[in-house]
Amino acid sequence: MLSARPATRTDKTTRLGKHTLIGVLAGLLLICSPRTWAVEAPLAWDKPAFSLHGFGTLGISRTDQSDNAEYVRDLSQARGAGSNWTGKVDSLLGIQANYQFGPRTEGVLQAITRHHGEEGYDPELTWAFLRHEVLPDMSLRVGRLGTEFYMLGDTRLVGYSNISMRPPPDFYGTLIFSYIDGIDVSATRPLATGLLSGKLFAGISPEQVPFSPGLTWNLRGTKLLGGYLEYRNGAWQLRYSQARSRFKHKLPTDELLGFAYLAQVPEMDMAGQWARFDSIGLVHDDGPLNIQLMLNRIKQDSPAYEDSRAGYLLAAYRLGDFTPYLGFSRSLTGSEALPLTGDPMPNLADSATPSLVAQTQVDQHSYTLGGRWDIRRNLALKAQLDWIRGAPEATFLFKFKTGDKRWDGDMTVYSLALDFVF
Amino acid sequence: MPRHRPILLFCALLGITTPSSAEPVVVVNAASSVVRLERDEVVNIFLGRYRRLSTGAIAQPIDQPERSPLRADFYRRLVNKNVNEIDAYWSRLIFSGKTAPPLRTVSSQEVATLLAGNPDAIAYLERGQIDKRFRIVLEFPR
Repeated sequence: MLSARPATRTDKTTRLGKHTLIGVLAGLLLICSPRTWAVEAPLAWDKPAFSLHGFGTLGISRTDQSDNAEYVRDLSQARGAGSNWTGKVDSLLGIQANYQFGPRTEGVLQAITRHHGEEGYDPELTWAFLRHEVLPDMSLRVGRLGTEFYMLGDTRLVGYSNISMRPPPDFYGTLIFSYIDGIDVSATRPLATGLLSGKLFAGISPEQVPFSPGLTWNLRGTKLLGGYLEYRNGAWQLRYSQARSRFKHKLPTDELLGFAYLAQVPEMDMAGQWARFDSIGLVHDDGPLNIQLMLNRIKQDSPAYEDSRAGYLLAAYRLGDFTPYLGFSRSLTGSEALPLTGDPMPNLADSATPSLVAQTQVDQHSYTLGGRWDIRRNLALKAQLDWIRGAPEATFLFKFKTGDKRWDGDMTVYSLALDFVF
Repeated sequence: MPRHRPILLFCALLGITTPSSAEPVVVVNAASSVVRLERDEVVNIFLGRYRRLSTGAIAQPIDQPERSPLRADFYRRLVNKNVNEIDAYWSRLIFSGKTAPPLRTVSSQEVATLLAGNPDAIAYLERGQIDKRFRIVLEFPR
């Protein structure tokens, strides 16, 4: 099992990557006929057809923990920051190529290398899509796309475009989906004095996520559907988003426990189960002042994961090239009735269930204090302090060096980062 | 435009509202049927939020060179943001595969030439650069 895992991982990155690439290239060839060019060229000037951009973060972080708990950015990371400085949490590099096939059609490829999964820094093909403006205010994208489960979710890895060091793990930490193979359509129209916009997406996940040290949960084939409705007026932006996922594969619970647990407690099997993500985002962006408020609720059909609620508030005020910011975030899960085997005698499965579900428990809040300094064009230096206060038994948002999941409910995280785009 | 700031401040203090020939004004091609734009419409066009004009045409915004003081002045007046924030804003949109930023240029002469050649283009120029090829559609309060 364990030795087979790296093979699966490579298999996923290359095979699905190739698949999408072939699809995109075939689509590109179809669209890129000379006739399309001629019809779609009302511009009086030529835009560069090909452009290459990149973004990245050189970041280090450490915590004041001497115990087992490690701080991670989100649950896609198998290891995080402990008492020694590490670049794992925030460091990454992304490259993006855009090719303009005409004023209304564009192809985009994006690859990112960062610490995720078990193996570390394998590059991922995060995007490979064709975007076509069906109408000037309506666009369609097909291929591998970034997910927008929550507001600002699809650029959460582009440090330079965000004020704080990273999106608050209390809020984004449980979001294990970064991209989908599918389709999305978005449209905007004026309403009253503002703009109303919406998006719908559907696709399947090509990803997998660390489950427990040495074990991975395969998300490939998980169906993802969702959308949002947003209203923007002046400095205000309000968005409601909803997304649903239907998992295809079982959790590797049997491998974790070492016996056929899921056959005895089928309710704990995530395969075929839906999860629903609802969120509200409010942004006030007025000159030097930027305030973000986000709230979400995740409802799991399976009792294997506790339902959760989270929220954060981030306020920043720019003073010249320096932008100090303050944040507060909170995340909480709630327990449900636990499924039983129905066997009246004490048995291994029934004794395992409470601890399995308890591992998905979250009950913590964090205070964040940080500063962003725009040193020069396309380069920003950030320093951030996070104080996390939580229930010691609620360990879901942390990773642990060993199976001994202990933390004292109190963690300070120190982070420094250079964010750049090119 | 830091060089002009003391003068502007001085004029503002005295209540003097003499138009400076270096201040940015938003302009379209004189052949365009657009006569006037609201500030919000200009924000939507230059920040890539919505580019369809009331005439039905799609506005094609042109930006001044990245390091030009006029660009900094324009975005400060338009949305009270500095160029770093505007660049960070665009990095968000570029790296989320959404709208394209305004057309990049290398000189304000290029902006004027491009604008003069495209009836759907929209740009900002120094007031002193305006001639009969262009129509001012938005001025910033002084």
